[in-house]
Amino acid sequence: MFKHDVLVVGGGLAGLRAALEAQKSCDVALISKVHPIRSHSGAAQGGINAALSATDSVESHAFDTVKGSDYLADQDAVEILCSEARNSIVELDSFGVLFSRNEDGTIAQRPFGGAGFPRTCYAADRTGHHLLHALYQQSVRLGLTIYDEWFALRLVVDDGAVCGLVAYNVPSGEVAGFHAKAVILATGGYGRIYGKSTNAVINTGDGAALALRAGAELEDMEFVQFHPTTLLGTNILITEGARGEGGFLVNKSGERFMARYAKEAMELAPRDIVARAIQTEIDEGRGIGGDHIDLVLTHLGEDKIKSRLPGIRQIAIDFAGIDPVADPIPIEPGQHYSMGGISVGNDCSSSLGRLFCAGEAACVSVHGANRLGGNSLLETLVLGKIAGASAASCASRTAIMTESVENARREEEARIARLLGRSGSESVADIRTAMKNVMTEKFQLFRNAKDMRDGLDEIRKLRRLFDDAGIGNRARDFNYALTGYLELENMLLAAETVAVGAIAREESRGSHFRTDFPRRDDERFLKHTIVKMRDGNLDLSYRPVRLGRFPVRERTY
Amino acid sequence: MMRFKVWRSGKDGDDARYDTFEVQPVKGMNVLEALFEIQDRLDDTLAFRYACRGAVCGSCAMMINREIRLACRTQVSLISHYKPMGLKPFPPLQSPVDWDRDSEVLVEPLPNLPIQKDLVVDMTRFYRYYERVKPYLETLEEVGAPTRIMPQQMERAERLANCILCAACYGSCPVCHKNSRYIGPHALAWSLRFIDDPRAKGDEQERLSLVKDQDGVPACEGFYNCVRTCPKDVAPAAAIKILKEKLAQRKLI
Repeated sequence: MFKHDVLVVGGGLAGLRAALEAQKSCDVALISKVHPIRSHSGAAQGGINAALSATDSVESHAFDTVKGSDYLADQDAVEILCSEARNSIVELDSFGVLFSRNEDGTIAQRPFGGAGFPRTCYAADRTGHHLLHALYQQSVRLGLTIYDEWFALRLVVDDGAVCGLVAYNVPSGEVAGFHAKAVILATGGYGRIYGKSTNAVINTGDGAALALRAGAELEDMEFVQFHPTTLLGTNILITEGARGEGGFLVNKSGERFMARYAKEAMELAPRDIVARAIQTEIDEGRGIGGDHIDLVLTHLGEDKIKSRLPGIRQIAIDFAGIDPVADPIPIEPGQHYSMGGISVGNDCSSSLGRLFCAGEAACVSVHGANRLGGNSLLETLVLGKIAGASAASCASRTAIMTESVENARREEEARIARLLGRSGSESVADIRTAMKNVMTEKFQLFRNAKDMRDGLDEIRKLRRLFDDAGIGNRARDFNYALTGYLELENMLLAAETVAVGAIAREESRGSHFRTDFPRRDDERFLKHTIVKMRDGNLDLSYRPVRLGRFPVRERTY
Repeated sequence: MMRFKVWRSGKDGDDARYDTFEVQPVKGMNVLEALFEIQDRLDDTLAFRYACRGAVCGSCAMMINREIRLACRTQVSLISHYKPMGLKPFPPLQSPVDWDRDSEVLVEPLPNLPIQKDLVVDMTRFYRYYERVKPYLETLEEVGAPTRIMPQQMERAERLANCILCAACYGSCPVCHKNSRYIGPHALAWSLRFIDDPRAKGDEQERLSLVKDQDGVPACEGFYNCVRTCPKDVAPAAAIKILKEKLAQRKLI
């Protein structure tokens, strides 16, 4: 039995930043299913946005973010995000992040999609790696308590508020209770519900599922970002920074087709627009080899590629056998980011007492219907810090509960024993593959009512089949069949929330494009989708967007 | 079909055996994907670590065909064409095994760390040694503005900071094998990375004192296996050489 004031679930950037903040005033522990340094934050490449230059402004950053969101972002939240950006960069600098520099020693910034100014700070094309290590290093400096390789099974709710959680220790098989006065979920996104995804294998929507089952609200789950440039085949990310540095896209005729989709911004239009353009080229027969588009970097020269884009060069060599210095990189769109997540206010508090959330797991909403590149790393730090402060302040006003955590622990212990003792007729791997195929085919860049209804039926059918899924592995320790089963359970739930939200939203906005409703419909849908679980069913409702100084306009680039 | 001969054991190598699995290779398949295929279709008790599958998280360093590699970065179809790493031999690379090099891929846990199960090793010691060199910047006073650093001032630190803590260097080091107190190439590379940081506040002497004892810099025997196996070209041995010079200059060794 473990006891802390604040428990942070997830060891990526948002979780680490939250923990560092909460630790200033209370006893904190971080729990994660992998060692923090293995978190998916480390895979972020291109950079982090901040208006640093005298000719740039917070207002301009906020405007680009709101416009990029297709006006679905809450403007007061965006204001916080953008006005804290500079402080975040200064802090990261003081933590030792090796940002790439200009010749005069100032922090270099590159242009990114949907941005009116080159405001993306970067560390070559390994920005996430450098940030994650720097934050982890600060947690080492401050002696943060970390429970790594603990898989969270359930949030414990007592009297309408969270009082702890139950988790499974992967190395030992122990099921333990963790008491806490406040819990922060920073578990990342749910990208792995899709087949073609840039995400780490571990991004399985655990936080969304934990929160939903505990009674919290999820928001805007249907908004799933597809990155325009993922490596053909493996779908490993090829940074937008490649286009920021001057790379361009061509179809099989060698045409820079973006001119037909975004005349001004070209390759640096926001991701939803570039991804749909690429998919359209492929669908209409102008793809290369029928399945991809080329990202051309050869004209940048070896020096620039080696100094600014060494990571993606290595990825292209290792995973596609192509050196971008000499040849174009074959790319296709792939799932990349979860705009939706656990619904939280600007203080990162969820709809459930003493439960907070930050990072990709959360929906504040600062990204609305489409996130701009360079804003997710920023969100992890700015909102992670707020979540840490909010949870710490909440913990100082709360007493710790004990009985319900122990009761929940016993129930989870029994459930694990049951799972390890039963033989099922269905295969976890088959159901997982089927789910990924359904999501990739029916809830992709271009959506329509018929496909999505079929898709939802299939997801529900898979959820029923899942009840008969078996685990062959009977061991308590290092049972990855068990964690794989638990992750699939979470993903199926997340997939269903995406499906119901997408079917109900009869309009096209940002990443959510419907061929049967190709226009944005502010009259009916300038609002957030809210999903809640009632008696095992998903209940949909809506909440108004918090508008502000930027009036809702048509979105062109 | 491709045959994978995979190390299986409990804690500390209990009940060790090799299991052979046949996997249908698909285009672009890497060893990590083959292990997933085995876990999904053939034997769900197989234990190995993973996360990003894109050679950035550092979870899946292991011994493949008696060389130390990231499983995700090792292409099944190219494996027999890889240029040999030319590792200096030490016992884990030499232990007898019935293995047909032409038709089988041999997959074994990363050497030099205690085995927890199958291909999972206990990284505790590896992380502890990393922490010993104080791998962090003591935070600067709030100056309210970003620092200025000339690009050429941070070139070496940038290279060193590419380390993903995968432990390929630690697992391939003959010294780490015979001396479990040696803090290892990764820790020493991180030590120099922070000594090299232009923002560090004149703490070179203090940082050097953390690596000057017999389990630090002097333990390195210059086998260079760390340079050959590092998937991120960090070249720890080169860093250790520089640390040696710095220690000598300050008469610390």
